[in-house]
Amino acid sequence: MTDFLSTYGFLIVTMLQAGLLGLSLYFPLQAGQLSLASPGFYSLGGYVAAILLTNPAFAGLRDTLGNAMFPLTWLVAAVLAGLLGLLVGVPALRLRGIYLALATIAFVEVLRVISLNLSITGGAIGLFGIPQPFGIVDRWQYVFIFGPLLILTLLFARQMERSRVGRALRAIREDELAADAMGVPPTRYKVLAFVTGAVLAGIVGAMSAPLLSSWNARQGTFDASIAILAFVLIGGSRHTWGPVVGGALLTAVPEVLRFLADWRLVINGLVLVVASLYLPQGIVGALEKLGRPRPPQRPTPVKPAEVRP
Amino acid sequence: MELSQFIQNLMNGLAIGSVYAIFALGYTLVFSILGIINFAHGAVFTLGAYFTYTLVVGQFENNGLLKGVNLFPDGSPFSGQPLTFALATLLGATLAGLVAVLIERLAFRPMRSRGADPLLALVSSLGVALVIVNLIQLLVGAEIYNFPSNAYGDTPPALSFTLGGKIVIIRTVQVIIFAVSLVMLAVLGYVIGRTKIGKALRAVAESPTTASLLGISVDRFILITFFLSGFLGGLAGTLVGTAFGVAGPYFGVVYGLKGLAVIVLGGLGSIPGAVLGGLVIGLAEAFVPSQYSAYKDAVAFALLFVILLVRPQGLLGRSAIQKV
Amino acid sequence: MSAVTSPGSVVLEARNMTRRFGGLIAVNDVSFDVREGEIFGLIGPNGAGKTTLFNLMTGLTPPSSGTLTYRGTTVTGLQPNRVAALGLSRTFQNIRLFKGLNALENVKIAQHVRTEAGLWRGVFGAAKAEEARVEARAWELLDLVGMADRAGELAANFSYGDQRKLEIARALATEPRVLLLDEPAAGMNTSEKGQLTGFIRQVRDQFNLTVLVIEHHVPLVMNLCDRVAVLNFGQLIAMGNPAEVQRDPKVIEAYLGGE
Repeated sequence: MTDFLSTYGFLIVTMLQAGLLGLSLYFPLQAGQLSLASPGFYSLGGYVAAILLTNPAFAGLRDTLGNAMFPLTWLVAAVLAGLLGLLVGVPALRLRGIYLALATIAFVEVLRVISLNLSITGGAIGLFGIPQPFGIVDRWQYVFIFGPLLILTLLFARQMERSRVGRALRAIREDELAADAMGVPPTRYKVLAFVTGAVLAGIVGAMSAPLLSSWNARQGTFDASIAILAFVLIGGSRHTWGPVVGGALLTAVPEVLRFLADWRLVINGLVLVVASLYLPQGIVGALEKLGRPRPPQRPTPVKPAEVRP
Repeated sequence: MELSQFIQNLMNGLAIGSVYAIFALGYTLVFSILGIINFAHGAVFTLGAYFTYTLVVGQFENNGLLKGVNLFPDGSPFSGQPLTFALATLLGATLAGLVAVLIERLAFRPMRSRGADPLLALVSSLGVALVIVNLIQLLVGAEIYNFPSNAYGDTPPALSFTLGGKIVIIRTVQVIIFAVSLVMLAVLGYVIGRTKIGKALRAVAESPTTASLLGISVDRFILITFFLSGFLGGLAGTLVGTAFGVAGPYFGVVYGLKGLAVIVLGGLGSIPGAVLGGLVIGLAEAFVPSQYSAYKDAVAFALLFVILLVRPQGLLGRSAIQKV
Repeated sequence: MSAVTSPGSVVLEARNMTRRFGGLIAVNDVSFDVREGEIFGLIGPNGAGKTTLFNLMTGLTPPSSGTLTYRGTTVTGLQPNRVAALGLSRTFQNIRLFKGLNALENVKIAQHVRTEAGLWRGVFGAAKAEEARVEARAWELLDLVGMADRAGELAANFSYGDQRKLEIARALATEPRVLLLDEPAAGMNTSEKGQLTGFIRQVRDQFNLTVLVIEHHVPLVMNLCDRVAVLNFGQLIAMGNPAEVQRDPKVIEAYLGGE
């Protein structure tokens, strides 16, 4: 067991992390919005945590709070990512389809170049020596940090899908104009979905900074944007589990292909091509087709309590 | 700013901007016909540079599976003369065009025939890019390869003249890049504007269904489009490679991204727009004051972001009226 | 019902509504009143500006000038979703159901403006009562259009005629006071068309609605509508009861001249 964990523990953690990042892109996609901004918020979250955990300015706070400092970094990252998401989302979500995707790519790139050049982010070198939370000594133990977040996020996503808000998002995805005409305000819900994804990516970033123990501008790049998109599309973009399955598998593939040595990245590319050709609904979508969807059941009418004369 | 500095910046901007323009045209051509962005375009750019380098030099000394292979033991027939170098460049670009055709056959066409989600084309084209980039790395390693200094033949490395008492230095490479790009744009403008092929291409771009009703073979024109796109990408790669070196398998990534900024700035699917966008971004980068040069790479994306918010259809794009 | 027999009070006032697209004037200085409870027809040759007028009235297209008021509240300038909240709901000429969702969901979604559970109440399952109400009402509306047995089918799989009916059910789910139907009979077969008049009347009476309807099918308009307005080249050229309008030389000219 210990052998297994020391070999594959880090991989398992990065699989969970990939699933979470996939979900951060899945939320805006629920409303039909293709945003590739997740790496930007992820990077921001990581910087927030790295700064709070290493910058001398917060030494006093760290001493006072001890381990409570870590949840605080998650919270601050969530709030800042949410605010930035609002700031970017409100104007950007007027754009549709590929335009929004390109605007979010631009956002990620601008953020990356800025982080490369600020002193508080450590410039091109980045930030080092980020401490480990809760006495973690081995990286596989991050399962206990990312695992609960993943479970909570999945529950959140499932509950949201079944609610009035989830219906509004689907309506916008299907036909934004008709949704508007039927009383669903598109801008509000698109921004809500975008900000939800931003907050999640920010928290994941804040949790990942200690995992990697250093943080730099390479954490938020265009490559990451597309990798995360691949998690979602190959896992299945219409199902909560899709991004999780896709993220886990695509993260594991290069590892499984390790025996191919130098060829593994080439094969990884081929996997993306083949999967997008042969699994257009994604893995979960393909599995779902096997089972027949359950028709909606009419609720038994609740008789109003009889009024006795 | 002094006039000499201004002229130098202007020349820098025009040279790089014209490369952006022909590279971005490759994106635009494919977008105007298929409505998708080919994320493998940056990798095709890289390939073009490597193809030309292979023809001109014939060997890769340091690393990779091709280490020690020498295509031309007696010296490359493509080196040392302006004309032979031009030939190598054209051949390199042609090979890149053929690779783009292959990409279309393998990664785009099957998806089209299935009517799959167009978003998936982003993923499959990115998969192709990963394959290409890593194959390059596998074959020739990750190091920078510089074209021999006499690649163009015996041309002086730079032109210099004095202006208002200051020396202005313009690299020969820049002049060549600008001139080649202009010629390429003129040829392309002629092909698209005046020839039968161009008319058919425009018909397909306007409406694939109508075009096929008119008896135009849509699949064939999609292939032609991909070839042109790859040719332009490969040519741009070679031009950048001669100016700054072939900087490893990933050196197309940055151009791939900036190309996106260019086409959006100019207007997605607009051919004059891609040219204008390329020049605007090239010049904007060239005129970034030196104390802010670290932010130069952000200029294109900041412009992209702003234009999307202010005028989403781009400088020369048409705004689509949504029909209810 | 009194609203039907005696002329009701004016609920909608369109004043000088105009919309230009570039050089083209799609709707030109159109003014009319619609009274409570009436079924008001909007007819005219193709391209006369009928759908554009609906779009102006429901906030999908902002007018170049002119106003629409609903019971004294200005409608023009509001976003479509606010117009729906105010009580004006519509169907679309080219059917815009949520095609990838099932019939039940289509009808549930449209109750959005009459419900209020936000993200957190939804996520924590604290909106059970509201959800039950939404669900029950959605089934009732499907019953009304005779589709309760196909609630789980995707909207895209329904026939044209059934899609039109489902779209009416969806519009009713917003609990409108005014229903705007854009060519409800288009794509319906003869027997469906025959039943449509009765169905629209039934809906009007059951939900106390005022109905505006764009229609090409002349017998339907004549049977159904209390009053008819005729648009040609964006201008209102005639208005009155169906029989009068049918005899109006300008209307005959517009239809025959346009052929």
